[in-house]
Amino acid sequence: MSPITISFIRGTVITLALTIASIIFGIILALILAFMRMGKSKILNGFAWFYVWIFRGTPLFLQIVVINFVPPLIYLSVTGKPMPRSNGIMTAGYLPMLLTSGEFKSGIIALALNTGAYCCEIIRAGIESIDIGQHEAAKALGMSKFTAMSKVIIPQTMKRIIPPFSNEFTLILKDSSLVSTIGLTELARVSRQLSAGGKWSYLFVGAAIYLFLTTFSTFAFDKLEKYFGRYE
Amino acid sequence: MSMVRTENLKKSFGDNEVLKGISIEVNKGEVLCVIGPSGSGKSTFLRCLNNLETIDSGLIYIDDELIVHREDGKNLKDMSPKKVSTLCIKLGMVFQRFNLFPHKTAVENLMLAPMSIKKVKKEEAYSKSMEILKKVGLVDKAGSYPSKLSGGQQQRVAIARALAMEPEIMLFDEPTSSLDPELVGEVLEVMKDLAQEMMTMIVVTHEMGFAKDVASRVVFMDGGYIAEEGHPQEIFANPKNDRTREFLNRILI
Repeated sequence: MSPITISFIRGTVITLALTIASIIFGIILALILAFMRMGKSKILNGFAWFYVWIFRGTPLFLQIVVINFVPPLIYLSVTGKPMPRSNGIMTAGYLPMLLTSGEFKSGIIALALNTGAYCCEIIRAGIESIDIGQHEAAKALGMSKFTAMSKVIIPQTMKRIIPPFSNEFTLILKDSSLVSTIGLTELARVSRQLSAGGKWSYLFVGAAIYLFLTTFSTFAFDKLEKYFGRYE
Repeated sequence: MSMVRTENLKKSFGDNEVLKGISIEVNKGEVLCVIGPSGSGKSTFLRCLNNLETIDSGLIYIDDELIVHREDGKNLKDMSPKKVSTLCIKLGMVFQRFNLFPHKTAVENLMLAPMSIKKVKKEEAYSKSMEILKKVGLVDKAGSYPSKLSGGQQQRVAIARALAMEPEIMLFDEPTSSLDPELVGEVLEVMKDLAQEMMTMIVVTHEMGFAKDVASRVVFMDGGYIAEEGHPQEIFANPKNDRTREFLNRILI
């Protein structure tokens, strides 16, 4: 394989790993936030609201930069020693080292925190869109709140939240290119580096790979939506 | 033997006092029909019985056991979720808008609660559910999702779903009000069958024909009170209360 092909594969792997990992962590976070938003506790509700307010209201670009650069600085000023972390820029693109680098982790954390705020609202809207009669029917049959949620409400929510999730996945897939600002050579950065010196066609190769990935994910989410909506 | 007894139930929504002190007693095997103009508190009363609405004050006895006792919005009796759940299991509820679980087939709608609450085994829940579906004449629709059923069929499944938990009392909240006229009969038929099997039933309804034929007692509610109560023949032929007469005149034209 030519070095160029290897570069593109490496970039694609980084982009996919970033996207999938951050979506998974983001959804877990979003579930917790959504139930905080819908719960009775005013403090938890307020916290979740504040969280969503911050992460939806500021640029992802800045969130990535802050999460990558601020903790080491705080660590340094508190302990007087530099924070131990492996540096992604110094690994010269060696994949296993890239995937364990501090920048990669910062990227995942930032993307997960950001998508968590959006997914929280998607999940909350999905759950709140279920007719009150479903809650009442479950309660009248004697189900606990937990059983009602897990057996009645959430399964009906799935079909409705898949399309906005698909949308969010596409956005994160593309916006993961913002982590190039902290030095991670993901797909967009690879394309840009290779295009240096007037070889602009590599930019289109990168774009084509993104397009392929988003098309594939949209298709997969469509299938998922059909599966969860098979009862209609 | 009294299956349901309430004393002085009161319930307000904000400033609007919907129930102003409802006391009734329903004996085993009785069919009590609750009639009255909309806004009279009929549905709220029914929903208070199984705690879909929490009463402000009053007492509720189920099967001669004091289940709910509240004064001024405070519990004088344990109303933990567990306690409420055991209360709900004794009472089956049928809603105006069916509220079937759309993501479950007809038979799965019946199986869900017995399996998740009573921990009944799947095979057992299935055969039991099929039996009940047979009773309501829908065994051939067992595998259909609610979206594929007519309103009347959905309501029959909903009745069957409530029966699957083997309740001692069935509550019906205007069970035919959202049905096309030609589908009302099949649902009333199922309810009649239940009444004949001596199921204790409280039915909020606008179907005066059903009340006349099936009810052992009729309660006329108006403005949050029970205005009149008696045998259907009495109430329909010879209402004593002016408001009852007025209401029946309007509705029986």
